[in-house]
Amino acid sequence: MRMRAGAIVKIHLFIVGICLVLSSCIKDPPLNPEADIETFIVDESLLSGPTFIDQANRRILLYLKPRAFRKGIKPEITMSRGARSMPASGDSISFNGGPVLYTVTSESGQNQKVYDVQVVNVGNWTFNFEHWELNQADQYEFPVEDDGTILWSSGNPGVAISGIPKNPQAYPTHSTNGGYAATIAAELNTLKGTPLTELVGIKLIAGSMFLGTFNSNVAFIDPLAATEFGQPYVGTPGRFTGYYRYTPGASFQDEDGNIISGRQDECSLYAVLFHGPDRLTGHNVLTSDKIIATAELSNGTAQSDFRRFDIPFTFKQGAKISNDMMLAIVASSSAEGDHYRGAVGSRLVVDSLRVVPK
Amino acid sequence: MRKILTMLMVLFVIAAHAQQESLVRFEQYVQAGFNFGALTPVSLPNNIRRIDSWVPKFCPSIGYEGVYRFNERWGVGLAMKFEYKGMVVKDSVAYLHTIITVNEDGQTTEFEGDFTGTNETHAYNGYLTVPVNAVYDPGGNWRFKLGFYMAFLVDSKFEGTVSDGYIRNGDSLGEKIMISEATFDFKNELRTFDVGLQGGAGYRLSKKLSVEGNLNWGLRPAFPSSFEGIGFNMYNIFLTLGVAYQIR
Repeated sequence: MRMRAGAIVKIHLFIVGICLVLSSCIKDPPLNPEADIETFIVDESLLSGPTFIDQANRRILLYLKPRAFRKGIKPEITMSRGARSMPASGDSISFNGGPVLYTVTSESGQNQKVYDVQVVNVGNWTFNFEHWELNQADQYEFPVEDDGTILWSSGNPGVAISGIPKNPQAYPTHSTNGGYAATIAAELNTLKGTPLTELVGIKLIAGSMFLGTFNSNVAFIDPLAATEFGQPYVGTPGRFTGYYRYTPGASFQDEDGNIISGRQDECSLYAVLFHGPDRLTGHNVLTSDKIIATAELSNGTAQSDFRRFDIPFTFKQGAKISNDMMLAIVASSSAEGDHYRGAVGSRLVVDSLRVVPK
Repeated sequence: MRKILTMLMVLFVIAAHAQQESLVRFEQYVQAGFNFGALTPVSLPNNIRRIDSWVPKFCPSIGYEGVYRFNERWGVGLAMKFEYKGMVVKDSVAYLHTIITVNEDGQTTEFEGDFTGTNETHAYNGYLTVPVNAVYDPGGNWRFKLGFYMAFLVDSKFEGTVSDGYIRNGDSLGEKIMISEATFDFKNELRTFDVGLQGGAGYRLSKKLSVEGNLNWGLRPAFPSSFEGIGFNMYNIFLTLGVAYQIR
């Protein structure tokens, strides 16, 4: 019996030994390889809208009041753990010289990220989509204004994480030479879901484009919340005008991918004025009680040649103009694309969009 | 593979021949036991920050072993086992590089990024295993074995979830995408053949019955190098605890 107990003890020691071997192997943590600017805080009295950090395109979009623009600011920034930046948090920056760049070096020292701080000025609310830039990592296009700032966003940064080929034409939203009067315009296409999006039940990706920002952070857990609509607006808008052309795809499908025979896809194109400073999202852009006025294209059916539209803003009863407003323009190649319903192949081209003040 | 099978046949023929020649030189055992262990990297990479839990699965191992004795002390053993190797591991990882590839209808899509968060992996793989051992009997009740094994995958499961974290698009500099929970299933990527070292000891409780402990250490990464879903190599490392009953 003594020997038997001995054998069991030995086997036990053996197990304990293996556990020790495996658990003692937890190594020191790797030095943080991340180099994000996580927050960029400027005194709120100097801002006309909330600051947005466009992580995908490494830009910081600032909505500054004129006085702050002239005098410069001292932003407080926070970064990924252990990272450091040039200029540092609390340093003064001014906008009368060249571009304002923040270079962030990760704790590991191996990685560096350069953020371009841009002061956003919406200007005269006329958008011709003549200038486009390319996201280097994922190769999707996005429109920029004449001064290089970004006002428009699209679903492309979300599509970029669904395994689409890294090629501008493969994305739902990109530029086209076939704009109004042979200029460059924005083309929005409804695509079939990818095998990766189908894993999470998304069988259709509508082309979208909007004034606002795309928050990649929540693109997977809550795609509708990722689309943040609106840019700061001052005054009273009168009309929403522009040109569009629309070809619906052949067969309309529901969110489960079932073809609904006899139904035609429609595009959507609208402008929404609402109380800021927080942006509306895909969840509430047409339903929020912050909405002041809307101008919506009523007929989104096929339109083979460019058609001009001119839609007056309809004000909600009792809604008042304030000095903290935002305005969003939203376009989609499938009106129900936010619910993953539409027709693969639907194509919307928009050009020369404009919000005309009253 | 053909070489291995030829070698096995030769060994079985030797064993059978030995049996005919001298019955006392040939011993036969039936074995039954359980496997405890993990499909694990041999040295944990620093991306693994914490093992939150490890739970063995019900992993039976049943087999037959023939031992041919050359002399009092030494012999050679050949066995055939059917066994499961599995576990549930929950761990916390940081900046773990992964490439998720999905093939469907001839279309391949890929997502590459660095994940930080919680990972839970369920592995449960059935193998037909052929161990080949040198057997040493020092006299008395102990018996020791050392050798290698070949294992053929006949049933596979390797799936789990990543949760409560984020993935960065492309690499550590990509934008952060929060993940509440996403699932993965890599069972079709597993290699179907494993080979490894093994060694252990048995202690005779009675004339026929022994208790045995055997460590099986896989030497071939469970996934081929072309698979990039997990940024490190993992090996089958399992301890079999069980009994052997001598039937001859």
